[in-house]
Amino acid sequence: MNDWVMRLMDWVAPSGSEAPVVQALLDEVRPAADEVFVDALGNGIARKRGEGPHLMLAAHVDEPGLMVIDVDDRGYLRVVSVGEVHARECVGRQILFTNGIAGVVHADLSQQGELGVDALIIDVGARSREEAERMVPIGTAGAIALPPFSWDGKVLTGRALDNRLGCAVAARAFRALADRGLNTSVAFTAQNAVGARAAQAAAFQLEPRYAIVIDGVTADDVLKDRPVVALGRGPVLTVMDRATVVPLEAKRAVEQAAERLGLSLQYEVSREALGDTGAIQLSRAGCVAVGLGYPVRRAGAFAMTADVSDAEALFQLVLAAAEALMA
Amino acid sequence: MLLKELTEAFGPTGFEDEIRAVVRRELDAMGLSVRTDVLGNVIASTGEHHPGPRVMLDAHMDEVGLMVTHIGEGRDEAGLLRFRPLGGVDPRVLVSKPVYVGERRLPGVIGAKPVHLQEPGEREKPIPLEKLYIDIGARDADDARRHVKPGDPVVFATAYEELPRRMAKAKSFDDRVGCYILLEAIRRWKTPLPVFAAFTVQEEIGLRGAHAAAYQIQPDIAIALEGTVAHDVVDTPSHGQSTVVGRGPAITVQDGQTVADRRFAEFLWETAKARNIPVQWRRVKGGTNDFGAIHRVGKGVVGGAISVPVRYIHAPTQLVSLDDVQHAIDLVIAVLDEIAKGGFRP
Repeated sequence: MNDWVMRLMDWVAPSGSEAPVVQALLDEVRPAADEVFVDALGNGIARKRGEGPHLMLAAHVDEPGLMVIDVDDRGYLRVVSVGEVHARECVGRQILFTNGIAGVVHADLSQQGELGVDALIIDVGARSREEAERMVPIGTAGAIALPPFSWDGKVLTGRALDNRLGCAVAARAFRALADRGLNTSVAFTAQNAVGARAAQAAAFQLEPRYAIVIDGVTADDVLKDRPVVALGRGPVLTVMDRATVVPLEAKRAVEQAAERLGLSLQYEVSREALGDTGAIQLSRAGCVAVGLGYPVRRAGAFAMTADVSDAEALFQLVLAAAEALMA
Repeated sequence: MLLKELTEAFGPTGFEDEIRAVVRRELDAMGLSVRTDVLGNVIASTGEHHPGPRVMLDAHMDEVGLMVTHIGEGRDEAGLLRFRPLGGVDPRVLVSKPVYVGERRLPGVIGAKPVHLQEPGEREKPIPLEKLYIDIGARDADDARRHVKPGDPVVFATAYEELPRRMAKAKSFDDRVGCYILLEAIRRWKTPLPVFAAFTVQEEIGLRGAHAAAYQIQPDIAIALEGTVAHDVVDTPSHGQSTVVGRGPAITVQDGQTVADRRFAEFLWETAKARNIPVQWRRVKGGTNDFGAIHRVGKGVVGGAISVPVRYIHAPTQLVSLDDVQHAIDLVIAVLDEIAKGGFRP
């Protein structure tokens, strides 16, 4: 799985620019699906009809980034954020745009006060406005370049780890459920980082009875001695985030599945996180939706770290929970 | 003159009756199928049963304004009206502005202490909203109550006038300029294609009417027609301008509620370029328009926005270029034309 996840991480795909990653993921699940398609908002969807109530898997594909909003007469670019981005994390780093062009992020760090994204200036080596506009037209998105790296095959670090690792888990889980002849679908969702905008449309089209949403969950084990969520301690059940409270039926199914597999389970209770679960849960007349995740250090930032063993355990948990719900 | 009538019509968020009557009169005269939905959106359609993608064109009828919250009692403020903004209004632009209170247009002025009487400290700070009031010349609270009730809406009393160099001033170009563009485009549009013109309510307090309009129309493609922020004046660097008045309609790449569908944004851009219609990118992320609500309805909707640069937007007197307005109408027609020819598949 590692090599494939690292390849998925190579794509720069801020919200709205997910198409190439979505295609790569759909290619992976196509052999197991009755149909695959990309919808109006950029969600990639695969459907396999089978036995039992319909269970939808979902994992967001997108990542936060920066978008070119202006080019000045000297050929320097100004950017706005796509989703939440801390300007300080960008300064002095290389930015990679979706079209492969690289740039360097400048800012005057001697200035007092909060550094905003509007203070960032990108140099792409252009000598004029025209040249810069040709290289990176207004509206082109990019992200801070951080090639993925793996420590002894177990711990991964890099950009977009949240949620390409989850996409890989969702793709594998879909194939496994489809191979068992179950009634399932998977949505590789767009536009989560800007506020979970597209997942509801995916659920609207699929009309599932159950949904399992797979996402990275913030691990606080670097800054805290007694962390709530830590790497290497197993998958995470999202009990509550900004848009959802887990339905009891789903919580019980997940806990029983974890017990049966002998997995330790971690719990996320967050006022900040905004996964796709709430949007999916409230689509049409509603469905039973649950968020399951893997711990990620610095989730939502550019440089992130995750333990692949958590994702492996999550894969087993997703299958067991899905079968428990659909039984 | 229609643009004058549209901008001067009364219609703050939630009180769109008068502007809706103007819009309906124009649509009825075109012989279109027109209805008003339960929220007050006006939806006109043409070619509904023709093959081809269902295209929704949107402009919101409501304007930013104020709402009376209570009538002052007691010696110092008897008969003066306290108010809150209806939509995003900067309190700093309000002092001394003439207004109309209620749909019967009772004239008033937003009062404040004269400079002679201000303490030195007061002169250095903008007057906060809580210190502002509307003076309708009432003798006392009972007198004011005969004319005004809490909850009455208030609009700026600004007349439409044309300035040299094809500029015009008015209140409410946001979004009566969109209403005008939509009316003129649909008036000119004759080719068979399922086109729905939605004139929506309550955009200024959270895109509320557009959601229901899109739910009813179920479009394949939607385009919001808007007045958008321009600050192309002295000492503003390129990245602070958002748009430049006179350089043509603006196309969004990202705003507060939308990441543009890149393929559709480029389709708008290329369509404009191919017909020599000037066009510019909207170079700011802040703000939004009805497309932010529309694109998330149902199975999701492809589309974007065509915006006219407006200087001093959300303020009592706003400026637009009439050339930009004309170019926006031309662009809407060109885009419909391309869609009808199969030039964009959603």
